[in-house]
Amino acid sequence: MADIAVENSRVAYKETARRSRVLTSFKIRDGVFRWLTFAAAITVLLILGGVIISLIQGSMPSIRAFGFKFVYTDVWNPVTDEYGALAAIYGTLVTSAIAMIIAVPVGIGIGIFLTELCPEILRRPIGIAIELLAGIPSIIYGIWGLFVFAPFLQAYVQPGLIKFFGPVPILSTLFAGPPYGIGMLTAGFILAIMVLPFIAAVSRDVFQTVPPLLKEAGRGIGCTTWEVVGRVIIPYTRVGLVGGVMLALGRALGETMAVTFVIGNADVIPRSLLSPGTTISAAIANEFTEAVGELYTSALIELSLILFVITFIVLAIARLMLMRLEQKVK
Amino acid sequence: MTNTPNGKAADLPTKISVKDLRFFYASHLALKSINVPLYTNKVTALIGPSGCGKSTLLRVLNRMYDLYPRQRAEGEVLLDGENILDQKQDLNLLRARVGMVFQKPTPFPMSIYDNIAFGIKLYEKLPKSELDGRVENALRGAAIWDEVRDKLSASGLSLSGGQQQRLCIARTVAIHPEVILFDEPCSALDPISTAKVEELIDELKEKYTIAIVTHNMQQAARVSEYTAFMYLGELVEFAPTTQIFTAPENPRTQNYITGRFG
Repeated sequence: MADIAVENSRVAYKETARRSRVLTSFKIRDGVFRWLTFAAAITVLLILGGVIISLIQGSMPSIRAFGFKFVYTDVWNPVTDEYGALAAIYGTLVTSAIAMIIAVPVGIGIGIFLTELCPEILRRPIGIAIELLAGIPSIIYGIWGLFVFAPFLQAYVQPGLIKFFGPVPILSTLFAGPPYGIGMLTAGFILAIMVLPFIAAVSRDVFQTVPPLLKEAGRGIGCTTWEVVGRVIIPYTRVGLVGGVMLALGRALGETMAVTFVIGNADVIPRSLLSPGTTISAAIANEFTEAVGELYTSALIELSLILFVITFIVLAIARLMLMRLEQKVK
Repeated sequence: MTNTPNGKAADLPTKISVKDLRFFYASHLALKSINVPLYTNKVTALIGPSGCGKSTLLRVLNRMYDLYPRQRAEGEVLLDGENILDQKQDLNLLRARVGMVFQKPTPFPMSIYDNIAFGIKLYEKLPKSELDGRVENALRGAAIWDEVRDKLSASGLSLSGGQQQRLCIARTVAIHPEVILFDEPCSALDPISTAKVEELIDELKEKYTIAIVTHNMQQAARVSEYTAFMYLGELVEFAPTTQIFTAPENPRTQNYITGRFG
């Protein structure tokens, strides 16, 4: 008995020594790994900070020259070196709003169809088509918008809109003619098509996270598909949905190429949605190469600073909405 | 009434009568010619090893399987004499008449009050005061009123597992079903919550016809009056619970309840 006990303790001792060696090497590896990931995370902050600083620095001349007036005037005159961003801000917000009004319901509808109603044979082809749509470079949307979609709208859709909304008091101004083809509405449409796959893909993915049991429970008390979707699936996934919509809005706000093609690039605030306008990113893309003189360049940089701030505000609002939603549920 | 070749049946009013039911997952035959009655205002337990088809049988009774493609049932399931497998059967109505409580608690992502009121509002337009009454009754009926009366606007998800399960029972009771199907309602619950739910089932049978799937044989013995033992998609034996647990006729039933297999 005693022998065995001694034997055992010796084995145990060896074991401990080997273990502690291995554990030390684990600790070192873990430490290195932690620092690497930490460094990667810090890089994000550094890049973000760098972008903000260089944007502010670049726009200093313009900020000094125009101050806050830059945001609420819509004069854009390189000849007299007078710049105001209002037209571009207005165009950015309005085209994005049009895009979201169209793309959010359609995208969520696609998501619902794919997860709840679609026959299995169609599920994959439609899913793949959506992913392909998301992968099309924006220049293609731009050129298609300019040569195919805008003439189509000009010939068939816009005259109808003008006629239809003509007698309606406020809307008649929004849809006043003539039909140019290119303009705010067309840009909004193109943006809608571009962000649609994002919203559809995200909503499909989050709808798939709803536990089947929860859907069955909805059916179990006699809900129709419509009621299950409206009262169970969408509330259950709202956080993900808001996230997807905000991602899409972020893309719509910053989209440059396609919008530049079809918006018409007029530095004015158009009263009608059918008239040409401009957006922040379109203005920058169009004018950066010809921007001579410090103030002109600086005004364009300040435009990008404003776009940055708008995107930031959108994200902040999204966060706030999510917090509200969660509090309401608690 | 006694149309159950593979089991004894009493001469009692029958709420649901399953006749020659076969069920397919794609081409796999999961239920082989099941005949079983659910007697009115009685608790019938379905027992058997995993994969024997007892949950499948339950899901046929409110046609929950219909949500999934490639699952189909043949034969007859008569609810008050009407075949619910008929393609013309209105599924929403059926599910309102035959309620279901699931393995895991499934509160909807809304407040406790709305969890109950939602189901009621699907079918009836009630003034607020009356709706309040119905919600309270349902919560009382599920023995959870005292625990939630002060926090009706809190999320259903904020409750404990056992409370959530009773909330789900309340939700089912609220729409005045005729039959309630329990699919292993206590498998995710602790012993105390389990006891509460069992007590509740005992009370509920006064108003409803109940079927319960369970893996827990003590539970089947405690809550049910009739028991059906299923094995590999067949109904082996159907008899009064006391008989199944004391003097089963079929040796396979005997082996299962004494723990020799399954």
